[in-house]
Amino acid sequence: MRIVVAPPAPALLPAYASLVDPVPRLRAATRAAVDWLGPSVKVLADDLDDQRVAESLLGRRSDLDGHDLLVMANGSARRSEKAPGHLDPRAAGYDEWLRQLLRLGDLEGLASLDVDEGEDLLAAGLRSLAVTARQLADRGVTVRDVQVDHDDCPYGVQYWVVRWQCGS
Amino acid sequence: MLRLRSRDFDDDATLMMAIVNRTPDSFYDKGATWAEDAAFERVALVAGQGAEIVDIGGIKAAPGVEISEAEEKARVVDFVARVRDAFPDLVISVDTWRASVGDAVCEVGADVLNDAWGGADPELVDVAALHGAALVCTHTGGVQVRTRPHRIEYDDVVAAAIADTTAYAERALAAGVAAESLVIDPAHDFGKNTFHSLEVTRRLGEMVATGWPVLVSLSNKDFVGESLDLPVGERLTGTLAATAVCALAGARVYRVHEVVETRQVVDMVRTIAGLRPPARAIRGLA
Repeated sequence: MRIVVAPPAPALLPAYASLVDPVPRLRAATRAAVDWLGPSVKVLADDLDDQRVAESLLGRRSDLDGHDLLVMANGSARRSEKAPGHLDPRAAGYDEWLRQLLRLGDLEGLASLDVDEGEDLLAAGLRSLAVTARQLADRGVTVRDVQVDHDDCPYGVQYWVVRWQCGS
Repeated sequence: MLRLRSRDFDDDATLMMAIVNRTPDSFYDKGATWAEDAAFERVALVAGQGAEIVDIGGIKAAPGVEISEAEEKARVVDFVARVRDAFPDLVISVDTWRASVGDAVCEVGADVLNDAWGGADPELVDVAALHGAALVCTHTGGVQVRTRPHRIEYDDVVAAAIADTTAYAERALAAGVAAESLVIDPAHDFGKNTFHSLEVTRRLGEMVATGWPVLVSLSNKDFVGESLDLPVGERLTGTLAATAVCALAGARVYRVHEVVETRQVVDMVRTIAGLRPPARAIRGLA
């Protein structure tokens, strides 16, 4: 099973295209990671807006019985004074912790995320991420290989694009 | 597609045509680029500002000292050759009504003949066809070359502008000018009082609806000055307001003194209209 975690940034939507792409590296990384997924992909998103970004990236609707997973999540949007949610001093620490869990493919850790604090920090998709991690861990799935395609915070929003190759 | 001899432009492209006067007496710059080197510096400036076209003129539009064909050629032909050599990708337009001058400038690389006087010289279309040049077909209401309007009335100035410019375009087409190389221009202030020019501005969409690409020449003109009671030199804001109205109506080419300001207005209007994406939008989307 292949899993990709990517941010549900609306800037990725074609409807919001600019003449100069404000997120070229994120877009390239996301596209490459999504292309790595197989033909049958289930989207896990916290709301319909995030789902829309995911399905735009996939170029098709989510497959409810999909073999691979595309989880739409990102870190805090309170990473700087210019960030959408202004600066929250807790944000960097929270994101560092989340970064380690994603880099390690630590499903137990992700299943135990403090979602409330994350939402306070305007992180996105944490419920989907935590629920997915819990379900995978309960099924005995483990993350065998991790590839971090993107790790950046260009507009005060922490983005990751991460690929997990899983087994059980 | 709009074909300006050496360059093709998509139908959704808007173009800045920067005015370059090789005259000692034009109303706006009053001879600032009369010297050839000054005119050349002006070309370099506007090209650097992103103008797609320069419109080189050797005779001011208003009445004044008679300028012979020989004198007009002396002012523009070698200069066009110099600009062609230095700026191979720049579209060169020459503001002339004379076929002989048009022929001479096309020989040295001009791409567009901007006939501000509505076909006063019937052979100009043949020259454009011969050289594969583009032609700007203007409406002057039948006035003589280099005259000011005096007590001109129209039943419907927009209908007259459409009838005359499209008839001129059809005549050019029949002479062999390519359809994609013809542009129509209502010619604000030419054969028009201020009320006429305002009405043409207000109803520019009717000209756009003809399907011919529309050029507007609004820059610092008297209809702006009389609307706001402002002298030449203080008409930029009014010019840009008129530009915005024309951009919303779908004008394609803008003959201007101020390239940067006009480009920003046209781009902003087209972005508001949903015809152009924002340059770089991330607000609320990160």
